[in-house]
Amino acid sequence: MNELSFTFNTLFDDFNLSVNQTIPTTGITGIFGHSGSGKSTLLRCIAGLEKRTTGEITLNGTNLYNAKSSYFVKPEKRRIGLVFQDARLFPHLTVLNNIKYGQRRYKNTSLDIDEVIKLTQLKSLIHKNVTQLSGGEKQRVAIARALLAEPELLLLDEPLSALDNTSKSTMIALLLNVQKQLNIPMLYVSHSMAELQQISDNLLVMNNGKITHFGNVHHVIHTLNSSQSITQQTSLTLPIHEHLPKYGLTSLQLALNTYIYLPLLANNNIANEHDTHIRCFIAANDISISRQEVAESSIVNHFQAEITHIQPQENNVLISLNCHEHTFYSSISLWSAERLSLNVNDLIYIQFKASAVHSLADLGKL
Amino acid sequence: MIENSDLIALFTTLKMATITTIILMVIGTPLAWYLAKMKSRYKIVIEAIVALPIVLPPTVLGFYLLIAFSPEHLPGKLWQDITGQQLAFSFSAIVIGSVFYSLPFVVQPIQKAFEQLGDDIIEAGAMLGANALDRFFTIVLPITKASFITAASLGFAHTVGEFGIVLMIGGNISGETKVLSISLFEHVEAFDYAKAHILAASLLVGSFLILALVYLLNYTSNTSHTVKNNQSVLPKDMRS
Repeated sequence: MNELSFTFNTLFDDFNLSVNQTIPTTGITGIFGHSGSGKSTLLRCIAGLEKRTTGEITLNGTNLYNAKSSYFVKPEKRRIGLVFQDARLFPHLTVLNNIKYGQRRYKNTSLDIDEVIKLTQLKSLIHKNVTQLSGGEKQRVAIARALLAEPELLLLDEPLSALDNTSKSTMIALLLNVQKQLNIPMLYVSHSMAELQQISDNLLVMNNGKITHFGNVHHVIHTLNSSQSITQQTSLTLPIHEHLPKYGLTSLQLALNTYIYLPLLANNNIANEHDTHIRCFIAANDISISRQEVAESSIVNHFQAEITHIQPQENNVLISLNCHEHTFYSSISLWSAERLSLNVNDLIYIQFKASAVHSLADLGKL
Repeated sequence: MIENSDLIALFTTLKMATITTIILMVIGTPLAWYLAKMKSRYKIVIEAIVALPIVLPPTVLGFYLLIAFSPEHLPGKLWQDITGQQLAFSFSAIVIGSVFYSLPFVVQPIQKAFEQLGDDIIEAGAMLGANALDRFFTIVLPITKASFITAASLGFAHTVGEFGIVLMIGGNISGETKVLSISLFEHVEAFDYAKAHILAASLLVGSFLILALVYLLNYTSNTSHTVKNNQSVLPKDMRS
């Protein structure tokens, strides 16, 4: 039974945490919410760091907390790891002794420390004092330290928020690689949808202490498009077709003999050469609509699509489209929508530049 | 040069200060922890009680302890029933008195260090499988060790220097309750200024050396990772 289920109904100082959810403990589950939505508090409750809660937690069939029967497994006995926003390294220990701290206590043997050091790129720092490290290095130590304790579930609370943009992309690539290699399920909290779009398999959305959405990451993002709470976008995971270094482009397969072009990934140091699929998104603002196919254009991506839904939003219109069995979203001005007199079931053409397709490579610029 | 009775007083003083410091570290650490983590409004009441010896004339504390230690009152009676000996005017009495008298000098630096350390790093330890005792010895203690050294040094030095309480509850029994400060007072009363000078100068130099050591430790810890003992540990009037 690989799942985490929790129920909390607790009044905190500024909000009421009221959640009841079961999450599969496989892959990475993203938790999205604006600040004050209760996402960090939820992680602390799962970890056992918040004691004044009413509710229940079960992880992989083992009960960790039950307020009714006053059953409480202490944080140190839960086999749950937590990577904090601010790393929280032990200042009196070296990098090596920091990362060995949890491993020693759980007496774990299945994870090889050298492998984890390699995965987290800490080899050259291992004997340094942690106070000498940069923000990104500190977080890598915190991640290595948490991994080596071999938790059944790893919680990450905005682990990249203190990092600069380039480090963010590198760290996401690193976390995705770590997850794939070590197969430790993760709950990843962030207020950045760009981060979560790249890293999550499933996405849970919180607002004001309540869970408003949960499901497949693309599906949840597309649902959020209509609420205008995020950058409206088309979120996709597509197989890589080929790299075209001469043109600085990579093509992804949208359908048989149909390709989406985006800036070249092959030479980028953060793209994993073994990746067969790429996670990407296109902002709804970047997709234009025309009635006729524009045959001769510098814009490389153009496809026929069918309008499935039209949603007016103030001066704009959000148009949902079906394009080769993928859902696309285009946001155009109300004026354009009226000029083109668009209707549901109309067949139209969408186009967007290669540079409008964002992947992990340009996460930092978003 | 130094009289035999003064050497006995020196030995009594060091013995009293050492035992007192050990007791203070054992009871002061959990008390400091409790106060640092306490969120109740009664915290200020306990803090005020702990800090009382800083402002109270030692004779006030000594007077009440003398009454409590007498066989007519419960603490003194209990002591006598258990040990068969009178508590007042005994070595045990001056140790107990010193524990009360020097308590704030031990509790306050440690409490301040615990407060400065906060819960964040301790939570990190818990999430890595360390239980409360493990976290204390592998995280809290190594990071706050400078404060423990400060607390022990101040507790020791302050106990060596006490006079009023020892006089009230210990009397002046050589080899039992006669400490250096009382010997000094005796020499002055007898107009034996030469002997008084020797004792006064030794107390002055000894206390200076202990304090210099404390400040040296604080100075070195300023450049390391440990929680610092900034001067605010002690109220202003204690620093002068």
